[in-house]
Amino acid sequence: MKPIDKPLLVDASTRLLFTMTDNQYELLITEFDILLKQMALIGQIINVDHLEPMTFPFAIQGSPMRQDVAGPTLTQAQALTNVSQQLDGQIKLPKVVG
Amino acid sequence: MAWLDLNIQVIHDALVSGQTTPLALTEEALARAQLDTCNSFECLTAEQALAHARTLTVPEPNNLFWGIPYVLKDNFSTTAIPTTAGSNILNGYIPLYDATVYAKLKAANAILIGKTTLDELAMGGTGMTGHKGWQYNPYDEKKERLIGGSSSGSAAAVASGIVPFSLGSDTGDSVRKPASYAGLVGFKPTWGRISRYGLFPFAPSLDHVGYFTRTVDDAASLTTLLSGQDDQDATATNQTLPPLILSGNVKGLRIAVIEQVIRSIKDQTILKRFEETLVALTLAGAHVEYVQFPLPLLNAIYPTYMTISCAEATSNNANLDGLRFGPGYQGKTYQDVMMQARTEGFSELIKRRFVIGSYVLMRENQHDLFLRAQRVRRLIVDTLNEIYQHADVIYLPAAPTIAPKFTDSSDRLSSEYLIGDSHLALGNFAGLPSITIPLGFKDGMPFGGNVMGKAFAEFTTLEVAKAIETITGLANLSVRNRSQV
Repeated sequence: MKPIDKPLLVDASTRLLFTMTDNQYELLITEFDILLKQMALIGQIINVDHLEPMTFPFAIQGSPMRQDVAGPTLTQAQALTNVSQQLDGQIKLPKVVG
Repeated sequence: MAWLDLNIQVIHDALVSGQTTPLALTEEALARAQLDTCNSFECLTAEQALAHARTLTVPEPNNLFWGIPYVLKDNFSTTAIPTTAGSNILNGYIPLYDATVYAKLKAANAILIGKTTLDELAMGGTGMTGHKGWQYNPYDEKKERLIGGSSSGSAAAVASGIVPFSLGSDTGDSVRKPASYAGLVGFKPTWGRISRYGLFPFAPSLDHVGYFTRTVDDAASLTTLLSGQDDQDATATNQTLPPLILSGNVKGLRIAVIEQVIRSIKDQTILKRFEETLVALTLAGAHVEYVQFPLPLLNAIYPTYMTISCAEATSNNANLDGLRFGPGYQGKTYQDVMMQARTEGFSELIKRRFVIGSYVLMRENQHDLFLRAQRVRRLIVDTLNEIYQHADVIYLPAAPTIAPKFTDSSDRLSSEYLIGDSHLALGNFAGLPSITIPLGFKDGMPFGGNVMGKAFAEFTTLEVAKAIETITGLANLSVRNRSQV
Protein backbone atom coordinates (compact mmCIF):
# COMPACT_ATOMS: atom_id res chain seq x y z
CA MET A 1 0.00 0.00 0.00
CA LYS A 2 1.07 3.55 -0.61
CA PRO A 3 2.37 5.20 2.59
CA ILE A 4 0.22 8.10 3.82
CA ASP A 5 1.90 11.47 3.84
CA LYS A 6 0.89 15.00 3.03
CA PRO A 7 2.21 15.06 -0.59
CA LEU A 8 0.13 11.96 -1.35
CA LEU A 9 -3.00 13.53 0.09
CA VAL A 10 -2.38 16.83 -1.71
CA ASP A 11 -2.03 14.90 -4.96
CA ALA A 12 -5.26 12.97 -4.25
CA SER A 13 -7.26 16.10 -3.43
CA THR A 14 -5.89 17.89 -6.52
CA ARG A 15 -6.99 14.98 -8.68
CA LEU A 16 -10.40 15.23 -7.01
CA LEU A 17 -10.40 18.92 -7.98
CA PHE A 18 -10.46 20.60 -4.59
CA THR A 19 -7.95 22.06 -2.18
CA MET A 20 -7.68 21.61 1.57
CA THR A 21 -5.93 23.58 4.31
CA ASP A 22 -2.85 22.37 6.18
CA ASN A 23 -4.98 21.71 9.28
CA GLN A 24 -7.41 19.64 7.23
CA TYR A 25 -4.57 17.52 5.86
CA GLU A 26 -3.26 16.96 9.38
CA LEU A 27 -6.68 15.81 10.56
CA LEU A 28 -6.96 13.58 7.53
CA ILE A 29 -3.62 11.92 8.31
CA THR A 30 -4.97 11.22 11.82
CA GLU A 31 -8.12 9.71 10.34
CA PHE A 32 -6.10 7.54 8.00
CA ASP A 33 -4.11 6.28 10.95
CA ILE A 34 -7.36 5.15 12.59
CA LEU A 35 -8.87 3.77 9.40
CA LEU A 36 -5.79 1.77 8.48
CA LYS A 37 -5.62 0.28 11.98
CA GLN A 38 -9.23 -0.82 11.57
CA MET A 39 -8.50 -2.10 8.08
CA ALA A 40 -5.65 -4.09 9.59
CA LEU A 41 -8.30 -5.90 11.64
CA ILE A 42 -10.03 -6.76 8.40
CA GLY A 43 -6.70 -7.97 7.07
CA GLN A 44 -6.56 -10.52 9.88
CA ILE A 45 -9.83 -12.12 8.85
CA ILE A 46 -9.00 -15.41 7.20
CA ASN A 47 -10.69 -17.25 4.36
CA VAL A 48 -11.69 -14.24 2.30
CA ASP A 49 -9.21 -14.29 -0.57
CA HIS A 50 -11.20 -16.87 -2.49
CA LEU A 51 -14.45 -14.89 -2.20
CA GLU A 52 -15.83 -12.83 -5.05
CA PRO A 53 -15.91 -9.13 -4.09
CA MET A 54 -19.51 -8.14 -3.29
CA THR A 55 -20.56 -5.22 -5.46
CA PHE A 56 -24.30 -5.28 -4.70
CA PRO A 57 -26.48 -7.22 -2.23
CA PHE A 58 -27.92 -9.70 -4.72
CA ALA A 59 -28.76 -10.05 -8.38
CA ILE A 60 -32.01 -8.25 -9.13
CA GLN A 61 -34.64 -10.46 -10.74
CA GLY A 62 -37.72 -9.17 -12.52
CA SER A 63 -36.38 -5.94 -13.90
CA PRO A 64 -36.67 -6.36 -17.68
CA MET A 65 -35.03 -3.95 -20.10
CA ARG A 66 -37.39 -1.17 -21.04
CA GLN A 67 -38.49 -0.74 -24.62
CA ASP A 68 -36.20 1.39 -26.77
CA VAL A 69 -38.69 4.14 -27.44
CA ALA A 70 -38.11 7.86 -27.37
CA GLY A 71 -39.30 9.60 -24.23
CA PRO A 72 -39.86 13.27 -23.49
CA THR A 73 -36.86 15.56 -23.75
CA LEU A 74 -36.10 18.93 -22.17
CA THR A 75 -37.09 22.13 -23.89
CA GLN A 76 -34.39 24.75 -24.38
CA ALA A 77 -35.87 26.85 -21.58
CA GLN A 78 -35.85 23.87 -19.21
CA ALA A 79 -32.26 23.01 -20.10
CA LEU A 80 -31.21 26.56 -19.19
CA THR A 81 -33.10 26.62 -15.88
CA ASN A 82 -30.06 26.02 -13.67
CA VAL A 83 -27.48 27.70 -15.85
CA SER A 84 -25.80 30.72 -14.31
CA GLN A 85 -24.27 32.05 -17.53
CA GLN A 86 -26.08 31.98 -20.87
CA LEU A 87 -25.28 33.37 -24.29
CA ASP A 88 -27.70 33.34 -27.23
CA GLY A 89 -29.85 30.68 -25.61
CA GLN A 90 -26.91 28.39 -24.93
CA ILE A 91 -24.85 27.47 -21.87
CA LYS A 92 -21.78 29.68 -21.67
CA LEU A 93 -18.66 27.86 -20.49
CA PRO A 94 -15.03 28.86 -20.10
CA LYS A 95 -12.96 28.36 -23.24
CA VAL A 96 -11.64 24.84 -23.58
CA VAL A 97 -9.59 25.20 -26.78
CA GLY A 98 -7.54 28.20 -27.92
CA MET B 1 -55.44 15.63 20.13
CA ALA B 2 -55.21 17.21 16.66
CA TRP B 3 -55.42 15.05 13.54
CA LEU B 4 -51.77 15.65 12.65
CA ASP B 5 -50.73 13.98 15.90
CA LEU B 6 -52.28 10.72 14.75
CA ASN B 7 -51.36 8.16 12.11
CA ILE B 8 -52.15 8.08 8.40
CA GLN B 9 -55.03 5.61 8.67
CA VAL B 10 -56.85 7.67 11.33
CA ILE B 11 -56.30 10.94 9.45
CA HIS B 12 -57.57 9.27 6.28
CA ASP B 13 -60.75 8.17 8.05
CA ALA B 14 -61.26 11.74 9.27
CA LEU B 15 -60.79 13.10 5.75
CA VAL B 16 -63.23 10.64 4.24
CA SER B 17 -65.85 11.32 6.91
CA GLY B 18 -65.45 15.06 6.44
CA GLN B 19 -64.14 15.77 9.94
CA THR B 20 -61.20 17.62 8.40
CA THR B 21 -59.98 18.64 4.95
CA PRO B 22 -56.67 18.55 3.08
CA LEU B 23 -56.54 22.33 3.25
CA ALA B 24 -57.08 22.41 7.02
CA LEU B 25 -54.41 19.75 7.54
CA THR B 26 -51.96 21.55 5.26
CA GLU B 27 -52.50 24.89 6.97
CA GLU B 28 -51.99 23.27 10.35
CA ALA B 29 -48.84 21.43 9.21
CA LEU B 30 -47.38 24.64 7.76
CA ALA B 31 -48.22 26.55 10.95
CA ARG B 32 -46.45 23.91 13.00
CA ALA B 33 -43.49 23.93 10.61
CA GLN B 34 -43.15 27.69 11.10
CA LEU B 35 -42.74 27.03 14.83
CA ASP B 36 -40.12 24.31 14.30
CA THR B 37 -37.25 24.62 16.78
CA CYS B 38 -35.21 21.67 15.51
CA ASN B 39 -33.89 23.17 12.25
CA SER B 40 -35.79 20.51 10.33
CA PHE B 41 -36.29 22.30 7.04
CA GLU B 42 -34.23 23.20 4.01
CA CYS B 43 -37.31 24.90 2.61
CA LEU B 44 -41.08 24.99 3.00
CA THR B 45 -43.24 24.65 -0.09
CA ALA B 46 -46.19 26.54 1.35
CA GLU B 47 -47.50 28.08 -1.84
CA GLN B 48 -47.48 24.84 -3.83
CA ALA B 49 -48.83 22.85 -0.88
CA LEU B 50 -51.78 25.16 -0.29
CA ALA B 51 -52.56 25.31 -4.01
CA HIS B 52 -52.46 21.51 -4.16
CA ALA B 53 -54.67 21.17 -1.08
CA ARG B 54 -57.29 23.53 -2.50
CA THR B 55 -57.73 21.23 -5.49
CA LEU B 56 -58.61 18.28 -3.26
CA THR B 57 -62.32 18.56 -2.58
CA VAL B 58 -63.70 15.08 -3.18
CA PRO B 59 -62.31 12.49 -0.74
CA GLU B 60 -61.00 9.21 -2.13
CA PRO B 61 -61.96 6.42 0.30
CA ASN B 62 -59.62 3.91 -1.36
CA ASN B 63 -56.59 6.20 -1.42
CA LEU B 64 -54.98 6.30 2.01
CA PHE B 65 -52.63 9.15 1.12
CA TRP B 66 -55.18 11.56 -0.36
CA GLY B 67 -54.69 14.96 1.28
CA ILE B 68 -52.10 13.81 3.83
CA PRO B 69 -49.23 16.32 4.40
CA TYR B 70 -45.66 15.00 4.43
CA VAL B 71 -42.03 16.04 3.92
CA LEU B 72 -39.12 14.75 1.85
CA LYS B 73 -35.44 14.61 2.68
CA ASP B 74 -33.69 17.15 0.48
CA ASN B 75 -31.79 14.53 -1.51
CA PHE B 76 -34.87 13.52 -3.51
CA SER B 77 -35.24 15.27 -6.84
CA THR B 78 -38.34 17.49 -6.99
CA THR B 79 -39.28 19.42 -10.12
CA ALA B 80 -39.27 23.20 -9.61
CA ILE B 81 -38.34 22.85 -5.93
CA PRO B 82 -34.71 23.55 -4.90
CA THR B 83 -32.80 20.40 -3.96
CA THR B 84 -29.42 20.79 -2.29
CA ALA B 85 -28.69 17.51 -0.45
CA GLY B 86 -27.49 19.75 2.36
CA SER B 87 -24.44 20.85 0.38
CA ASN B 88 -23.38 24.31 -0.71
CA ILE B 89 -22.24 22.91 -4.03
CA LEU B 90 -25.92 22.43 -4.93
CA ASN B 91 -27.19 25.77 -3.67
CA GLY B 92 -29.75 27.06 -6.12
CA TYR B 93 -30.12 23.78 -8.01
CA ILE B 94 -33.70 23.27 -9.16
CA PRO B 95 -34.32 19.79 -10.60
CA LEU B 96 -36.13 19.23 -13.86
CA TYR B 97 -37.54 15.84 -12.94
CA ASP B 98 -39.23 14.07 -10.05
CA ALA B 99 -37.83 11.18 -8.07
CA THR B 100 -40.08 8.17 -8.63
CA VAL B 101 -41.15 8.04 -4.98
CA TYR B 102 -42.13 11.71 -5.12
CA ALA B 103 -44.04 11.13 -8.36
CA LYS B 104 -45.95 8.28 -6.70
CA LEU B 105 -46.84 10.38 -3.67
CA LYS B 106 -47.86 13.23 -5.95
CA ALA B 107 -50.06 10.88 -7.98
CA ALA B 108 -51.66 9.71 -4.74
CA ASN B 109 -52.35 13.37 -3.87
CA ALA B 110 -50.27 13.39 -0.72
CA ILE B 111 -49.25 17.00 -0.05
CA LEU B 112 -45.57 17.94 0.12
CA ILE B 113 -45.12 20.80 2.58
CA GLY B 114 -41.32 20.99 2.59
CA LYS B 115 -37.87 19.52 2.09
CA THR B 116 -35.87 18.53 5.15
CA THR B 117 -32.33 19.02 6.36
CA LEU B 118 -29.72 16.27 6.33
CA ASP B 119 -26.05 15.54 6.79
CA GLU B 120 -24.22 16.86 3.74
CA LEU B 121 -24.83 14.55 0.77
CA ALA B 122 -26.33 12.10 3.32
CA MET B 123 -22.76 11.20 4.35
CA GLY B 124 -23.03 11.42 8.12
CA GLY B 125 -24.81 10.00 11.11
CA THR B 126 -25.25 12.94 13.44
CA GLY B 127 -27.37 15.61 11.77
CA MET B 128 -24.49 18.01 12.41
CA THR B 129 -22.79 18.31 9.02
CA GLY B 130 -25.33 19.77 6.59
CA HIS B 131 -24.96 23.31 5.26
CA LYS B 132 -27.86 24.55 7.41
CA GLY B 133 -26.22 23.58 10.69
CA TRP B 134 -27.28 21.15 13.42
CA GLN B 135 -30.64 19.45 13.79
CA TYR B 136 -31.98 19.07 17.32
CA ASN B 137 -33.87 16.29 19.04
CA PRO B 138 -37.37 17.56 19.87
CA TYR B 139 -37.53 15.37 22.99
CA ASP B 140 -34.66 17.33 24.52
CA GLU B 141 -35.91 20.76 25.49
CA LYS B 142 -32.39 21.88 26.41
CA LYS B 143 -31.32 21.29 22.79
CA GLU B 144 -28.25 19.38 23.93
CA ARG B 145 -28.97 16.14 22.10
CA LEU B 146 -28.82 15.25 18.44
CA ILE B 147 -31.51 13.37 16.57
CA GLY B 148 -29.13 11.39 14.42
CA GLY B 149 -28.59 11.37 10.71
CA SER B 150 -28.37 11.53 7.97
CA SER B 151 -32.18 11.82 7.65
CA SER B 152 -32.21 14.23 10.59
CA GLY B 153 -34.79 16.79 9.46
CA SER B 154 -37.23 14.11 8.30
CA ALA B 155 -37.05 12.44 11.71
CA ALA B 156 -37.43 15.72 13.59
CA ALA B 157 -40.45 16.79 11.52
CA VAL B 158 -42.42 13.63 12.36
CA ALA B 159 -41.28 13.49 15.98
CA SER B 160 -42.32 17.15 16.37
CA GLY B 161 -45.82 16.36 15.13
CA ILE B 162 -45.55 18.52 12.02
CA VAL B 163 -46.44 15.71 9.61
CA PRO B 164 -47.48 12.07 10.10
CA PHE B 165 -44.80 10.68 7.79
CA SER B 166 -41.63 11.61 5.94
CA LEU B 167 -39.19 10.08 3.49
CA GLY B 168 -35.48 9.61 4.06
CA SER B 169 -32.63 7.54 2.70
CA ASP B 170 -30.63 4.86 4.48
CA THR B 171 -27.09 3.82 3.45
CA GLY B 172 -25.76 2.64 6.84
CA ASP B 173 -28.60 3.31 9.27
CA SER B 174 -29.68 6.84 8.29
CA VAL B 175 -33.39 6.20 8.83
CA ARG B 176 -33.35 3.45 11.44
CA LYS B 177 -30.92 5.06 13.92
CA PRO B 178 -32.68 8.47 13.98
CA ALA B 179 -35.96 6.58 14.41
CA SER B 180 -34.57 5.06 17.59
CA TYR B 181 -33.47 8.46 18.91
CA ALA B 182 -36.78 10.08 17.95
CA GLY B 183 -39.36 7.52 19.14
CA LEU B 184 -40.48 6.70 15.60
CA VAL B 185 -41.00 3.78 13.32
CA GLY B 186 -38.21 3.82 10.71
CA PHE B 187 -38.36 1.31 7.87
CA LYS B 188 -36.25 0.52 4.85
CA PRO B 189 -37.59 -2.33 2.70
CA THR B 190 -35.43 -4.75 0.72
CA TRP B 191 -32.81 -3.29 -1.65
CA GLY B 192 -34.57 -3.21 -5.03
CA ARG B 193 -38.10 -3.08 -3.60
CA ILE B 194 -38.39 0.68 -4.13
CA SER B 195 -37.02 2.69 -7.05
CA ARG B 196 -34.15 5.01 -6.25
CA TYR B 197 -34.56 7.06 -9.41
CA GLY B 198 -34.12 10.68 -8.37
CA LEU B 199 -32.50 9.86 -5.03
CA PHE B 200 -29.04 11.45 -5.08
CA PRO B 201 -26.65 8.50 -4.88
CA PHE B 202 -24.25 8.20 -1.97
CA ALA B 203 -23.19 4.53 -2.23
CA PRO B 204 -25.59 2.74 -4.59
CA SER B 205 -24.71 -0.76 -3.46
CA LEU B 206 -25.89 0.25 0.02
CA ASP B 207 -28.45 3.03 -0.61
CA HIS B 208 -32.14 2.44 0.21
CA VAL B 209 -35.27 4.59 0.31
CA GLY B 210 -36.72 4.60 3.83
CA TYR B 211 -39.41 6.39 5.80
CA PHE B 212 -40.47 7.59 9.22
CA THR B 213 -44.00 6.92 10.48
CA ARG B 214 -45.78 6.72 13.82
CA THR B 215 -47.09 3.19 13.40
CA VAL B 216 -45.96 -0.04 11.78
CA ASP B 217 -49.21 -0.13 9.80
CA ASP B 218 -48.34 3.22 8.23
CA ALA B 219 -44.91 1.89 7.26
CA ALA B 220 -46.66 -1.06 5.60
CA SER B 221 -49.00 1.28 3.70
CA LEU B 222 -46.08 3.34 2.39
CA THR B 223 -44.31 0.16 1.27
CA THR B 224 -47.36 -0.84 -0.73
CA LEU B 225 -47.59 2.59 -2.35
CA LEU B 226 -43.91 3.09 -3.16
CA SER B 227 -42.73 -0.37 -4.19
CA GLY B 228 -42.51 -1.75 -7.70
CA GLN B 229 -40.52 -1.94 -10.87
CA ASP B 230 -39.39 1.28 -12.49
CA ASP B 231 -38.15 1.70 -16.05
CA GLN B 232 -35.91 4.47 -14.77
CA ASP B 233 -34.08 2.27 -12.25
CA ALA B 234 -32.68 -1.08 -13.36
CA THR B 235 -32.26 -2.13 -9.72
CA ALA B 236 -35.98 -1.79 -8.96
CA THR B 237 -37.65 -5.17 -9.12
CA ASN B 238 -41.19 -6.28 -9.85
CA GLN B 239 -40.92 -9.05 -7.25
CA THR B 240 -44.41 -9.63 -5.84
CA LEU B 241 -45.27 -7.76 -2.68
CA PRO B 242 -48.00 -9.60 -0.78
CA PRO B 243 -50.82 -7.59 0.83
CA LEU B 244 -49.34 -6.06 3.96
CA ILE B 245 -52.36 -6.45 6.23
CA LEU B 246 -50.82 -6.90 9.64
CA SER B 247 -52.15 -8.63 12.72
CA GLY B 248 -48.95 -8.94 14.76
CA ASN B 249 -49.17 -12.71 14.75
CA VAL B 250 -45.77 -14.16 15.62
CA LYS B 251 -46.89 -17.67 16.49
CA GLY B 252 -44.26 -20.12 15.25
CA LEU B 253 -41.90 -17.42 13.96
CA ARG B 254 -38.22 -17.88 14.77
CA ILE B 255 -36.52 -14.81 16.21
CA ALA B 256 -32.71 -14.72 16.43
CA VAL B 257 -30.81 -12.45 18.83
CA ILE B 258 -27.08 -11.97 18.16
CA GLU B 259 -25.39 -12.53 21.50
CA GLN B 260 -22.23 -10.52 20.72
CA VAL B 261 -24.28 -7.42 19.88
CA ILE B 262 -26.22 -7.69 23.13
CA ARG B 263 -22.96 -8.08 25.08
CA SER B 264 -21.61 -4.87 23.54
CA ILE B 265 -24.52 -2.85 24.92
CA LYS B 266 -24.05 -1.57 28.47
CA ASP B 267 -27.20 0.46 29.05
CA GLN B 268 -29.24 -1.59 31.53
CA THR B 269 -32.51 0.26 30.87
CA ILE B 270 -32.33 -0.57 27.17
CA LEU B 271 -31.29 -4.17 27.82
CA LYS B 272 -34.05 -4.71 30.39
CA ARG B 273 -36.75 -3.32 28.13
CA PHE B 274 -35.45 -5.35 25.20
CA GLU B 275 -35.48 -8.56 27.24
CA GLU B 276 -39.03 -7.82 28.43
CA THR B 277 -40.17 -7.70 24.81
CA LEU B 278 -38.39 -11.01 24.16
CA VAL B 279 -40.36 -12.61 26.98
CA ALA B 280 -43.60 -11.18 25.62
CA LEU B 281 -42.80 -12.37 22.10
CA THR B 282 -42.15 -15.86 23.48
CA LEU B 283 -45.48 -15.79 25.31
CA ALA B 284 -47.09 -14.79 22.00
CA GLY B 285 -45.79 -17.97 20.42
CA ALA B 286 -42.48 -16.93 18.86
CA HIS B 287 -39.33 -19.03 19.25
CA VAL B 288 -36.48 -16.85 20.48
CA GLU B 289 -32.92 -18.09 20.13
CA TYR B 290 -29.60 -16.43 20.95
CA VAL B 291 -27.16 -17.00 18.08
CA GLN B 292 -23.43 -16.45 17.60
CA PHE B 293 -21.80 -14.09 15.10
CA PRO B 294 -17.97 -14.14 14.95
CA LEU B 295 -16.64 -11.11 16.80
CA PRO B 296 -13.95 -10.27 14.19
CA LEU B 297 -16.68 -9.95 11.58
CA LEU B 298 -18.80 -7.69 13.78
CA ASN B 299 -15.71 -5.56 14.43
CA ALA B 300 -15.20 -5.38 10.68
CA ILE B 301 -18.61 -3.81 9.98
CA TYR B 302 -17.54 -0.22 10.47
CA PRO B 303 -14.26 -0.20 8.50
CA THR B 304 -15.88 -2.26 5.75
CA TYR B 305 -18.72 0.25 5.56
CA MET B 306 -16.33 3.22 5.55
CA THR B 307 -14.15 1.75 2.82
CA ILE B 308 -16.97 0.78 0.48
CA SER B 309 -19.15 3.84 1.06
CA CYS B 310 -16.31 6.37 0.69
CA ALA B 311 -15.11 4.68 -2.51
CA GLU B 312 -18.57 4.66 -4.06
CA ALA B 313 -19.27 8.22 -2.93
CA THR B 314 -16.05 9.55 -4.44
CA SER B 315 -17.04 8.14 -7.79
CA ASN B 316 -20.73 9.04 -7.63
CA ASN B 317 -20.19 12.67 -6.74
CA ALA B 318 -17.70 13.37 -9.50
CA ASN B 319 -20.57 14.96 -11.43
CA LEU B 320 -20.80 17.79 -8.88
CA ASP B 321 -18.56 19.99 -10.97
CA GLY B 322 -19.98 23.47 -10.50
CA LEU B 323 -20.76 23.69 -14.22
CA ARG B 324 -24.06 21.86 -14.49
CA PHE B 325 -25.14 22.34 -10.87
CA GLY B 326 -24.98 24.94 -8.17
CA PRO B 327 -24.12 28.62 -7.97
CA GLY B 328 -22.08 30.12 -10.80
CA TYR B 329 -18.48 29.86 -9.73
CA GLN B 330 -16.05 31.81 -11.92
CA GLY B 331 -12.79 30.83 -13.56
CA LYS B 332 -10.77 31.21 -16.73
CA THR B 333 -10.85 27.50 -17.53
CA TYR B 334 -13.39 24.82 -16.74
CA GLN B 335 -10.81 23.26 -14.45
CA ASP B 336 -10.65 26.57 -12.54
CA VAL B 337 -14.45 26.58 -12.20
CA MET B 338 -14.52 22.97 -10.99
CA MET B 339 -11.66 23.51 -8.56
CA GLN B 340 -13.34 26.56 -7.09
CA ALA B 341 -16.77 24.96 -6.96
CA ARG B 342 -15.58 21.81 -5.25
CA THR B 343 -13.23 23.64 -2.88
CA GLU B 344 -15.91 26.09 -1.73
CA GLY B 345 -18.92 23.83 -2.20
CA PHE B 346 -17.87 20.79 -0.20
CA SER B 347 -17.37 20.90 3.55
CA GLU B 348 -14.19 19.67 5.18
CA LEU B 349 -15.83 16.38 6.16
CA ILE B 350 -16.91 15.57 2.61
CA LYS B 351 -13.45 16.34 1.25
CA ARG B 352 -11.87 14.01 3.80
CA ARG B 353 -14.30 11.24 2.86
CA PHE B 354 -13.57 11.70 -0.84
CA VAL B 355 -9.81 11.54 -0.27
CA ILE B 356 -10.29 8.32 1.72
CA GLY B 357 -12.39 6.96 -1.13
CA SER B 358 -9.75 7.96 -3.65
CA TYR B 359 -6.99 6.35 -1.59
CA VAL B 360 -8.70 2.98 -1.24
CA LEU B 361 -9.34 2.97 -4.99
CA MET B 362 -5.71 3.71 -5.96
CA ARG B 363 -4.28 0.90 -8.05
CA GLU B 364 -1.63 0.11 -5.41
CA ASN B 365 -4.26 -0.12 -2.64
CA GLN B 366 -7.30 -1.59 -4.30
CA HIS B 367 -6.50 -5.22 -3.57
CA ASP B 368 -5.66 -4.72 0.10
CA LEU B 369 -8.37 -2.18 0.88
CA PHE B 370 -11.33 -1.81 -1.46
CA LEU B 371 -11.51 -5.33 -2.84
CA ARG B 372 -10.73 -6.82 0.57
CA ALA B 373 -13.58 -4.79 2.09
CA GLN B 374 -15.91 -6.09 -0.62
CA ARG B 375 -14.80 -9.66 0.13
CA VAL B 376 -15.30 -9.17 3.86
CA ARG B 377 -18.75 -7.77 3.08
CA ARG B 378 -19.56 -11.03 1.31
CA LEU B 379 -18.29 -13.08 4.26
CA ILE B 380 -20.42 -11.01 6.65
CA VAL B 381 -23.48 -11.47 4.44
CA ASP B 382 -22.83 -15.21 4.09
CA THR B 383 -22.67 -15.46 7.89
CA LEU B 384 -25.91 -13.51 8.15
CA ASN B 385 -27.61 -15.80 5.67
CA GLU B 386 -26.52 -18.84 7.71
CA ILE B 387 -28.45 -17.38 10.65
CA TYR B 388 -31.50 -16.97 8.41
CA GLN B 389 -31.38 -20.69 7.62
CA HIS B 390 -32.78 -21.19 11.12
CA ALA B 391 -34.51 -17.87 11.77
CA ASP B 392 -37.20 -15.68 10.21
CA VAL B 393 -35.93 -12.40 11.66
CA ILE B 394 -33.09 -10.99 13.72
CA TYR B 395 -34.18 -8.73 16.58
CA LEU B 396 -31.81 -6.39 18.47
CA PRO B 397 -31.77 -3.01 20.20
CA ALA B 398 -31.49 -0.41 17.43
CA ALA B 399 -28.83 1.59 19.26
CA PRO B 400 -26.76 1.09 22.42
CA THR B 401 -27.83 4.40 23.97
CA ILE B 402 -30.43 7.13 23.86
CA ALA B 403 -29.62 10.08 21.58
CA PRO B 404 -26.10 11.29 22.43
CA LYS B 405 -25.28 14.86 23.35
CA PHE B 406 -23.68 17.06 20.71
CA THR B 407 -20.64 17.40 22.95
CA ASP B 408 -20.11 13.64 22.82
CA SER B 409 -20.52 13.33 19.06
CA SER B 410 -18.39 13.89 16.02
CA ASP B 411 -18.23 12.74 12.45
CA ARG B 412 -14.49 12.34 12.70
CA LEU B 413 -13.30 8.76 12.57
CA SER B 414 -12.77 7.31 16.00
CA SER B 415 -10.76 4.32 17.12
CA GLU B 416 -13.49 3.61 19.66
CA TYR B 417 -16.84 2.44 18.48
CA LEU B 418 -19.41 -0.06 19.62
CA ILE B 419 -20.67 -3.02 17.69
CA GLY B 420 -24.06 -2.00 19.05
CA ASP B 421 -23.69 1.27 17.16
CA SER B 422 -22.78 -0.32 13.83
CA HIS B 423 -24.87 -3.46 13.47
CA LEU B 424 -27.73 -1.82 11.55
CA ALA B 425 -25.38 -1.60 8.54
CA LEU B 426 -25.79 -5.38 8.23
CA GLY B 427 -29.15 -4.63 6.65
CA ASN B 428 -27.43 -2.47 4.02
CA PHE B 429 -24.65 -4.96 3.33
CA ALA B 430 -27.23 -7.67 2.62
CA GLY B 431 -30.04 -5.39 1.38
CA LEU B 432 -32.52 -6.76 3.93
CA PRO B 433 -35.82 -5.23 5.11
CA SER B 434 -35.15 -3.62 8.47
CA ILE B 435 -37.44 -1.69 10.78
CA THR B 436 -36.89 0.26 13.99
CA ILE B 437 -39.78 0.57 16.45
CA PRO B 438 -39.96 2.43 19.77
CA LEU B 439 -39.22 0.31 22.85
CA GLY B 440 -39.24 2.78 25.72
CA PHE B 441 -37.88 5.93 27.32
CA LYS B 442 -34.89 6.75 29.50
CA ASP B 443 -34.44 10.19 31.04
CA GLY B 444 -37.31 11.38 28.87
CA MET B 445 -35.55 10.27 25.69
CA PRO B 446 -36.86 7.45 23.47
CA PHE B 447 -34.98 4.35 22.37
CA GLY B 448 -35.91 1.63 19.90
CA GLY B 449 -35.51 -1.96 18.81
CA ASN B 450 -34.82 -3.24 15.31
CA VAL B 451 -36.23 -6.18 13.39
CA MET B 452 -34.41 -7.36 10.26
CA GLY B 453 -35.94 -9.99 8.01
CA LYS B 454 -34.97 -11.98 4.94
CA ALA B 455 -34.76 -10.34 1.53
CA PHE B 456 -38.23 -9.54 0.18
CA ALA B 457 -39.85 -10.86 3.39
CA GLU B 458 -41.33 -7.48 4.34
CA PHE B 459 -44.54 -9.08 5.58
CA THR B 460 -42.87 -11.23 8.24
CA THR B 461 -40.56 -8.37 9.24
CA LEU B 462 -43.50 -6.02 9.69
CA GLU B 463 -45.57 -8.66 11.52
CA VAL B 464 -42.88 -9.01 14.20
CA ALA B 465 -42.56 -5.22 14.41
CA LYS B 466 -46.33 -4.92 14.79
CA ALA B 467 -46.27 -7.50 17.59
CA ILE B 468 -43.60 -5.50 19.42
CA GLU B 469 -45.60 -2.30 18.92
CA THR B 470 -48.59 -4.04 20.49
CA ILE B 471 -46.45 -5.26 23.40
CA THR B 472 -45.00 -1.82 24.16
CA GLY B 473 -48.13 0.18 23.37
CA LEU B 474 -45.82 2.83 21.90
CA ALA B 475 -47.69 3.82 18.74
CA ASN B 476 -48.42 7.36 17.57
CA LEU B 477 -45.51 8.89 19.44
CA SER B 478 -44.54 12.52 19.04
CA VAL B 479 -43.44 15.21 21.46
CA ARG B 480 -46.97 16.62 21.30
CA ASN B 481 -48.63 13.51 22.68
CA ARG B 482 -45.91 11.87 24.78
CA SER B 483 -47.80 12.62 27.99
CA GLN B 484 -50.64 10.45 26.73
CA VAL B 485 -48.57 7.27 26.30
